[in-house]
Formats: sequence, C-alpha cells, structure tokens
Amino acid sequence: MNLPILSLITFTPLVGALVLAALPSRHEELIRRTALGFALVAWGLSLLLLAAFALGPAGFQFNETVDWIPAFGIQYKLGVDGLSVLMVVLTTTLTWISILASFGPIKDRVKGYMISFLVLEVGMIGVFIALDFFLFYIFWEIVLVPMYLIIGIWGGSNRIYATMKFVLYTLVGSLLMLVAILATAFAFQAGHGGSWTGAFDYTQLQAWSAGGHFANDLQILAFLALFLAFAIKVPMFPFHTWLPDAHTEAPTAGSVILAGVLLKLGAYGLIRFAVPLYPYAAHTFAWPIIVLSIVAIVYGAIVSIVQPDLKRLVAYSSVSHMGFVTLGIFVFSATALQGAVLQMINHGLITGGLFLLVGVVYERTHDRTIAKMGGLAAAMPIWSTVFGFFILASAGLPGLSGFVGEFLVFVGSFGVAPVIALASIIVMVLAATYLLWMFQRVAFGGLSDFLRGLGGHLTDMSGTEMVTLAPLAIGIVVLGLFPSLVLDLLRGPAQSFLAAAGVAVGG
Amino acid sequence: MNWSDIGTIAPVVASVLVAAAILIVDLALPNRRQAVIATALGGLGVVAAVILLQAGHAGSAFGGAYSLDNLTVFLDAIFVAIAVLTILFGVDYIEPRGLPIAEFAAILVFAVTGAMLIAGSTDLVLLFVALELMVLPGYVLAGFARRDPYSTEGAIKYFLLGSFSSAILLFGLAYVWGITGTTRVDGVAAALAKVAAGGSIQPGLAMGLAFMSAGVAFKMAAVPFHYWTPDAYQGSPTPITAYLSVGPKVGAFAIALRLFVGALGPLRADWLPVVIVLAAVTMTLGNLVAISQDNVKRMLAYSSIAHTGYILVGLAAYAGGQHSGLSAILFYGAAYTFMNMGAFAVVAALQRQPGVSSQIATFAGLGRRDPWLGALMAVFLLSLTGIPPLAGFWAKAYVILAAVQAGGWLTALAVLAMVNAAAAAFYYLRVVVYMYMREPAEELRPSSPGLLFRVGLGVTCVLTVVFGLFPAIATAATNAAGVFGG
Repeated sequence: MNLPILSLITFTPLVGALVLAALPSRHEELIRRTALGFALVAWGLSLLLLAAFALGPAGFQFNETVDWIPAFGIQYKLGVDGLSVLMVVLTTTLTWISILASFGPIKDRVKGYMISFLVLEVGMIGVFIALDFFLFYIFWEIVLVPMYLIIGIWGGSNRIYATMKFVLYTLVGSLLMLVAILATAFAFQAGHGGSWTGAFDYTQLQAWSAGGHFANDLQILAFLALFLAFAIKVPMFPFHTWLPDAHTEAPTAGSVILAGVLLKLGAYGLIRFAVPLYPYAAHTFAWPIIVLSIVAIVYGAIVSIVQPDLKRLVAYSSVSHMGFVTLGIFVFSATALQGAVLQMINHGLITGGLFLLVGVVYERTHDRTIAKMGGLAAAMPIWSTVFGFFILASAGLPGLSGFVGEFLVFVGSFGVAPVIALASIIVMVLAATYLLWMFQRVAFGGLSDFLRGLGGHLTDMSGTEMVTLAPLAIGIVVLGLFPSLVLDLLRGPAQSFLAAAGVAVGG
Repeated sequence: MNWSDIGTIAPVVASVLVAAAILIVDLALPNRRQAVIATALGGLGVVAAVILLQAGHAGSAFGGAYSLDNLTVFLDAIFVAIAVLTILFGVDYIEPRGLPIAEFAAILVFAVTGAMLIAGSTDLVLLFVALELMVLPGYVLAGFARRDPYSTEGAIKYFLLGSFSSAILLFGLAYVWGITGTTRVDGVAAALAKVAAGGSIQPGLAMGLAFMSAGVAFKMAAVPFHYWTPDAYQGSPTPITAYLSVGPKVGAFAIALRLFVGALGPLRADWLPVVIVLAAVTMTLGNLVAISQDNVKRMLAYSSIAHTGYILVGLAAYAGGQHSGLSAILFYGAAYTFMNMGAFAVVAALQRQPGVSSQIATFAGLGRRDPWLGALMAVFLLSLTGIPPLAGFWAKAYVILAAVQAGGWLTALAVLAMVNAAAAAFYYLRVVVYMYMREPAEELRPSSPGLLFRVGLGVTCVLTVVFGLFPAIATAATNAAGVFGG
C-alpha cells in the first residue's frame, strides 16, 4: 500500500489543532505561526497530490478503504477524481490565506480561533474526498460547528443572529439529507438480500443506480432532501437568505472561507451525489432548477446594485455567480459542467479576494458603508489597483478566469435553450453596473470627509496583505489564459457525470 | 426457591446489601463522609463486577418471574453506571448545602435496585413491584432539599402524579391478567398471540392496553403525561435531577421493553398507532416548549421530554416490523444517559456554591472563565443536538434507520424527528452562545469542582466521544440485548 496521502492531507490540520490545544494561550504569536505552518503543510501535500494525479484513467485514485462500522457496511473510504483534486487544492489554498489574513485582525482568543479554522479545514477536505455516503455526511456536519463558532465569537455586532440563522438553515437541510442517505442505503440493502455490504459505498451505489434499481418515488424523495441540503448551502434562490447575514457578520477570513469553500460544498454535493445517484429525479426537476438558477443569477445581480454595505454587495453577487454553477450542472452538457466547476474555482478565487480587500479597508476604517467611502484611489493606490483587478475579474473581463467559466456555461446551455443565454447576457451588463459603480464610488473622486477624518490611519496595503492576495491574483490570470489546465482535469469527471445522469455523451 | 435462584438475581441482592451497608457505616461511623462514599462506590463496583460476571449467561429464577438474559445485563450495567455517576456528581453539591450524604447514597442505591429488578422482570406483578421500588425512593430524592420550597413542590407533584400513574398502570395489568389468566410474560404473550390470530381484540383488552400505555407514558414523561417533569426536574437538587432525567426514564423504557415488547408483542399492530402519535407529539411539544425556556434545568427537562419522543420512534419502528428498533432504543438509552448526565453535571458544577441559579445567564462567559467546563458542556450539548461524531448522533441515526426501514408512516415520523432535531439545535446552541459569545453580567468565580466530580465528568465525556467515534463498540452489546423474550 502506498502512502495514504488523502488521510495525511485531511488530518494534518487536525494534528495542528491538537498541537495548538496543548500550547498555552498566552503565546499568541507562536499559536498563529503554528497554525499557519500546519495549513501550509496541508497545502504542500495537496499540491503533491495534484502533481501525482494521473490525468488519463477514469475513476477514483489514491483510494483508501477501512471498515468502520461493519454491521452497516459503513466504511472509511476516500478517493479523488479531477473534480475532488481541484476542490481540495482550492480548500487548502484558501485556508492558509485565511489564517495568514487573520494574523492582524484577530486579537482576541487567538487559540480558539486557530483551532476552529484547522478543524474546519478537516471537515471541508473530508467532504471533497469521502466516497462513503455516511462518511460524507459526517464531514459535512463537522464543517458546521467551527463555522458557527467563527461567526458567533469573532463576528460583527449582529453575529449571534447571523450564526444561529446559518446553523438552523444548514441543519434543517442536512438532517433531512441524513434520512435520505439512510433510505437510499436501505433500498440498496433490500435489493441485495438484506446484506449491508456496500450500502453506503459511493461506487456501488452509483453502479446500482446506473442499473436502474432505485425506484422512482425513492429517487424523487431522496433527491428533494439532498437538493434542499445542497441548495441551502450553495445557496440557491429562495434558500439564500442566511448568506448575506452570515457573510456580513463573519470576520474577514470567515467570509473568505464561507464564500470560497463552503458554498462549493453544496455544488459539489449536487455533482457528486444528488445527480448521479438519482438521475430520474434530477431530470424530473431539471427545469424548475434551471429556472431557479436564472432567477438567482438575475435577482442576485439586481439586489447587489442597491446594497449600501461593501460586504453585503459581494455576498449578493455570490448568489448571482453561484447561479451559473447550478445552471451549468442541470443543463446536462459536458461543456456547461466544466464551466460550472471552473466557475466554482473562479468564484473561490475572486470572491475570496474581494472579501480580503474589503477586510483591508475595514481594518483601517472600521466601516464598510459605500456612501462613506470615496477617493481611495489617491489614499491607497496599491489597494485600489488590486481591488480594480478583482472587480474586473468578477465582472467577467475576457482574459481573466471569471470570463471563461461563465462563457462555457453559456455555450453549454445555449444548445438546451437559447433563452437562457439571453438572460445571462443581461446579467453581464448588470454585473458590470453594480461592480463598476461600486468601484467608482469607493475609489474615485475626492477623499470623503469620513476618510479624511481618519488621517494617518489610512495606510496602503501591508506586505502580509499583499502576500494573501498574490496567489489569488496569479490563479485568476493563469486560469484566464490557460483554462485547459483545469478543464483537462475535469474531462473525466464530466464524462462520468453525464453517463451517470443518463445523457448520451457525444462530441 | 433454591440457591441457583439467588445466583441469578445476584446483582439485585448485591445492590440491596450495598444500600444497607451504607446505612450501617453511617450509623457506626457518624460524620465520616469519606467512609460512606467509599462504601457506596466500592459496593457499586462489586455490583458492577457481579453484573459483568453474568454477561453471556442466561437463566431464570422463581419459576420464570425473573429472567437473566442479555437485556438484563445491559440494562443493569447502565443502571449501575447511573448510580455511580450520580454519587460522583452529588457529593460536591450535597455537602455545601448541609444535606445528609449517607441518606442520599442509600436512597439512590435502593432506587437503582428497583430499576435493576425491572430489567429482569418477566412477571407482571414483579414488574409492578420493581417499578414501585424504583420510583418511591425517587420521590424522596426529588424532595431531598427539604428546606427549599421548589424542591418540595416538585416532589409533591412528582409523588401525586407518579402514584396516580402507577395505579393506572396496575389497573391495566389487572385487565391483562383477567383476560389471559396468567401474569407470566411469556404466558401472556402466548395467550395474546391466539387473540391476535383471531382478529379483533375484545373491549376489555383494549381498555387494559390504553391504561397500560398511559401508565408507562407517565413514567417515561411522554406528552401529554409529562406535566410533572419540568417542576420535579427544576426543583430537585441538580445532581438528583441528573439522576431523575436518566434513571427512571431508562427504567420506564425497560418496562416498555418487558411489557409491550415481551408480553404485548403479539398485539403490536394495535398499539403501533398509539406509539406513533405519542412519539410525534412528545418530541414536537418538548422541543417547542424547550425553545422558550430561560432556565437551563427546565430547558433540559423539556429536552429530555423531546428525547423520550425520539426513543419512542425506535419502539414504533419495532412495532412496525423492524426488530433493529429495539437495539436502537438501547443504544439511545446508553448514549442519552451519558450525555444528559454530563450536561446536568456541568449545571451542578456551576451551582456548587449555594445560591447560584441555573438561569441561562449563569452560563454567560463560561468559556472564558472556566475553559474546561465550557468545552465539556459544549460537547454534551452538541451530542444532544446530534452532531457527529458524538454519541448522540449515532443514537439518532440508528433510530432513524430503523424507522426508515420500517417504511410507511414511520418514514414520515423519521422526517418529523429530524425536523425536530434541527429545531432543538436552537436551544442547545443558545447555551453555547451564552458560554462563548456573551460576557457575564457579574463576575463569578470558577467553580473548581472536586476530584470525584472531575472523574465523573471525564467518564461521561470520554464515553460520549468514544461511542461517537466507534459506535461499533456499543452496538455489539445493544444488538445482543435487543434479542430477548424468546
């Protein structure tokens, strides 16, 4: 047996959390550096995984299987395909960036904060590599608690309301998902003469589903339960109302992870589990979901225009951007799916960067109200340049990665219904409106009275802050120019997704 | 009677002797609390050893009135653990309030003796006597702080409603005896199997069934028979509340297993609808009322009502044809015992100084003031919520799995249980909010509980986590214990 690299990546942060727990909490600087160190090790391991990942063969690689609860056939089973690898790298990258970005802003209870972040990383990585339905659920729930604490302890003034809303929304979805998982496993068990072996194993469940063995009504109910859980997480319209509160109240790094990774958990769940296991139901509900996606795209963009708060604006723009992801998934085309996954990565990089940049301003001004800003281009030239870059990326400027993802989703969905493409083009205009208008109000013009009152506090970005943004900016340019780096990895997963969804794969 | 009968009921005998020994030690060595505590813990250790020696053995005593099987051993072990934990948690609380520790320990051990007798009862009369042996000391314990008007009020309510429900249960048992002509559980089951095969059941039997359901529902605090619970729980000294929330409840489920599964199993299609409705109403109402509580003891009281509802889902799954519902009940009982006692124990730790209230405001800033106690409480609350990988999660998962397997209405019940679990997160996490996200109104000193208390907290926490990470350890025992009564 080879090195269990997936377990290593997953549990490196956990070891880090235990080490931190043993350190006395007064050594704050040591705690910060140790946390960053473990996050960087996990990142390095995930890059090794990416390098070692073989592009050719279909199916899952680096599999690890250990029986966990044999009585019910529940296994500790991990494995990755191209999709998982990309998500794992995204997670580990954003985690160390978030930890580094928290060095300055988080001054209270540093130890608890860093432990929460590392435990959060364990849960997030686990979700992306679990190949046992039950294990997936467990990692899914593990994500909840640290995020609840991060928002609730280190968040803004309305944090308790926001964090309870986040938890309750997520729990309603996930507990119903548990019922669906158990019902699915039971259907599998009943179909295998009462043997639980493989009843939670993703590959076996998928093969069983491909054989058309899951009854239609089971598929409908289970799909709806899973869809609810994932749609809340994505979040899709109309399940998105927790998102603006959680994003606004979370500390900067919390918003980065929330937008960068947590929203992807939902989209990943749809691609990995909801559609391939219940293809009949997925086709039955495809059109309503496409409509909801378009509503989310348009609604998110329109609501963004009128937001008075920088973070809230970025949060609502997430609803719009993630609409492209769900759209790309449910039109069932290889191009659109690749576009959707690329869009997931882009959104992680771009929105993560935007939240970091808003955080930079907030650190200096303790305010995020757009109306109070103005003239930052003169006061903080580097910040304004970088902010402008991320704004353009978010608006979908060709040559940067945001454009490629949305474009692929267009192309893929045009074949299904040209009207979708029309709606999407309107949104391109809306996105340019709310982003550029916001940028104009914040960066241009004379320095506002509010900012002038801050005087010497309004310094430009520090070296650390630039280090946190550099990898994201590089990623955006590289993926914008060479999207095939990602798309090649996604060819296999897209094919098996379509095969599982019961769509003939053509040229 | 012969000597082998004594061997079969050895744990019960040992337990009675321990209770007597505590009283004798207290008489011989007055004001020597260490001697009393050592006698109680050492004696219960012997009882535990006797129970472990019986593991894997089977037998019956007194002409079939008492049975030793895997279920008996499993429940006995839980009851002894409850007694030990209650004493560990009780000492630090009882002493500063000037209450007598020997009486506390002796009464508790008598109560647990009753619970252990229930576990092995396979005769309706013995079942009733054992039940009374369990609950009578419980009334005394509830009113143990006799100068505290709340304690007295709670005890009186508990006593009046408890006696009333015992009478109702006895009335129901009398009907069954009248119709089947026997009080032996297997005899009743055989007679009722003929009745069930014959189609509809007589009105007398239906009446008996209704009385017994109501009586047992009282004891397990199922809605609408739960009114005594919040007052008794809030008024009792906190470690005793910890005991009341698990001991009599697991005892009531032991009755349900021996009586409804063992004796009335053939009629399960008739009592299934009753259990479904009871489960649905119990968990929903328990949770809804718990949400609005500002006193943590009262909140945990309503939450324990909600947990009764979840456990009843397992009983309903059994009645719906899934035998795995029984092992799910047992797993739930074990997990619930440890996490719930742990949660009450943290409340007791905070109240170590007399005069500290159990209002939720007491918890404000606990995570900073007392990091260990805060972290333990968070673990217990997350486990009660059902977050993996903690014991409470698997407890819910097994119950839900059994219900989903049974299908039909039970799937709907499973969905309702999960919606309830999500709602319950609100009030459990509210305590976490106070502990970690709010600052205290007044400065309270860290409570620094004693060694025994810490051992108790450590054990409950470790078990909550270990059952969560490796549920297979416990399922081996629950699966074996779930097969009983032929």
